[in-house]
Amino acid sequence: MLKNKLAKKFLGLSLLCFSFGFLSPVVLAQANILNVYVWTAYLPQDVVKQFRKETGIRVNISEYDSNETMYAKIKASPDAGYDIIFPSNYFIHRMRKQNMLHIIDKDKLPNLQYINRDLLRKPFDPNNEFSIPYLCSITGIVINTDYLDNKNITSWQDLWQERFRDKLLVLDDMREVFSIALLTLGYSINDTNPDHIKEAYLKLKTLLPNVKIFNSDVEQNIYIDEDAIVGMGWNGDINLSLAENPKLKFIYPKEGFVMSIDCLAITKNAPHLENAYKFINFLMRPDIAKKISEEIGYPSPNLAAIKLLPKDMQNNPLLNPSSELLKRGQLQDATDEVLPLYEKYWEKLKIGE
Amino acid sequence: MKLNRLIKYSYPAFVYLFLYFPILIIVVFSFNDTSRSLVWKGFTTQWYTELFRDTNLLSVTGHSLIIGVLAATIATAIGTIAAVSLFRYRFWGKKLLHGLLFVMIVTPEIVMGIALLLLYSSLDLPLGFWSLLLAHITLCIPFVTITVYSRITTLDKAIFEAARDLGATDFTIFSKIIIPLLSPSIIAGWLLSFTLSLDDVITSYFVSGPSFSILPLKVYAMVRLGIKPEINALCTLLLILTLLIIISAQFALYKNSGKKHAKK
Repeated sequence: MLKNKLAKKFLGLSLLCFSFGFLSPVVLAQANILNVYVWTAYLPQDVVKQFRKETGIRVNISEYDSNETMYAKIKASPDAGYDIIFPSNYFIHRMRKQNMLHIIDKDKLPNLQYINRDLLRKPFDPNNEFSIPYLCSITGIVINTDYLDNKNITSWQDLWQERFRDKLLVLDDMREVFSIALLTLGYSINDTNPDHIKEAYLKLKTLLPNVKIFNSDVEQNIYIDEDAIVGMGWNGDINLSLAENPKLKFIYPKEGFVMSIDCLAITKNAPHLENAYKFINFLMRPDIAKKISEEIGYPSPNLAAIKLLPKDMQNNPLLNPSSELLKRGQLQDATDEVLPLYEKYWEKLKIGE
Repeated sequence: MKLNRLIKYSYPAFVYLFLYFPILIIVVFSFNDTSRSLVWKGFTTQWYTELFRDTNLLSVTGHSLIIGVLAATIATAIGTIAAVSLFRYRFWGKKLLHGLLFVMIVTPEIVMGIALLLLYSSLDLPLGFWSLLLAHITLCIPFVTITVYSRITTLDKAIFEAARDLGATDFTIFSKIIIPLLSPSIIAGWLLSFTLSLDDVITSYFVSGPSFSILPLKVYAMVRLGIKPEINALCTLLLILTLLIIISAQFALYKNSGKKHAKK
């Protein structure tokens, strides 16, 4: 009797599971939808609404806070159904190598013609088979001109000045911080020579007396509230912060700087391919790309979109860096083989050794 | 003497301050007239209007409330029945089952998340509403069972024997005696489950899918990339909602016990 009951229960349960499994794909396939997995607050809602109005496609938005979060999710459940993701350049490289991305058919993206050629065919994706640039971000020097004179500040090296003792905000990001030391030493940010990395570590050690705080979560708030008045920052964040604190100034260091290209990519198992192409093409339409750049505050790779911006925004180097400026930017590679070394030195720095 | 009284009153005051001050700050900052600063710049209700214009945030909140209510209700039903049967009946593997409940509570959520994800993918269950609901029910059941069980053990077994003597069936005993006696702990179990479901990030991260995103994941991502004051507004509203639920639950219980006393 007991066994019989158990068996019935088990049968019921498996029927239940089966019906879920059976029904859901049918429902999924019928609906005209697109699943987008994007950085928090990196895709304006108006743009999504307009896309729906024009195409009738409903966009499901899920959000992530870091490349790592997104990568782990896609890796753990490749069939979860995400169509479009927004990895940064070095994650494109990693995901491409691990066969996690769909090869983009460029014939379906006529708006690709508007994208700045300086930002295409980069080493992380030499033929742009897997990725299309969405927005660029650049790490530079931020200074509050109310408190400090910005005349002598043109390079990363200037952050070592005596007068900045205990004043700097340094991003809580290992690669970014090592990059400034490598750049002042004249090396590439992707240098894998252990001696050079050690040199960078020793150089950073001499910066520590100037550091007030390591932070990359609420860096904007800290600059706006003047809890730190000089340090590292991202151009887009500072661009938006200017509305609240116009005294901030962003400087592109002359040695060069880290540039990051956040891209659009389609996942390997994307269930709604056609809609994904429509969406990517839509995001590259000049009027839409303009809206995105204006609202998110980061430079658009879309040349036609930049031309649509109001004159003062076009002349704003934070939103529209010139191509000479862009040439000084260096893209991060996934330098996996030296990461443990980086981490060792990073920990030492953090505990002040 | 005076010092004694000072300690007597200031100690609980500090406890409450410690518990509630952070929440109070969220409420205050939901009225702060600035989008990025953490300094007080003036009073505004702008964030509440923006919250109600933010369809994405609202729909995500709706999803979370639906999942929370459903998961809490189902888990409470299952958990209560489990607690009652653990208490009243003797069956094979009872001790083991009881022990396993505690194992579930101390199991790190990340283990649960990965385990469920593996189960779903082997069953071909797509990630979305159902996967989340099942995960949250699983997460909540042990908490309900243990809350209810700890109350049930304080009951006098003689009550059930008396009821049976008077000819009550098992079902009558369950519905007319056990449930009313347990109602405070059942309500507590429900509220606990609802809260657990509403703020679970880790398990949800693994088992959620693109078609059904929920609030804790969204808030977590937002916090990492700079808090928007809208979130403060949303938290304030959720806080009021929770307070209302708890007050009404307390009120219902109070009325109930009042009636009983009157009958006596």
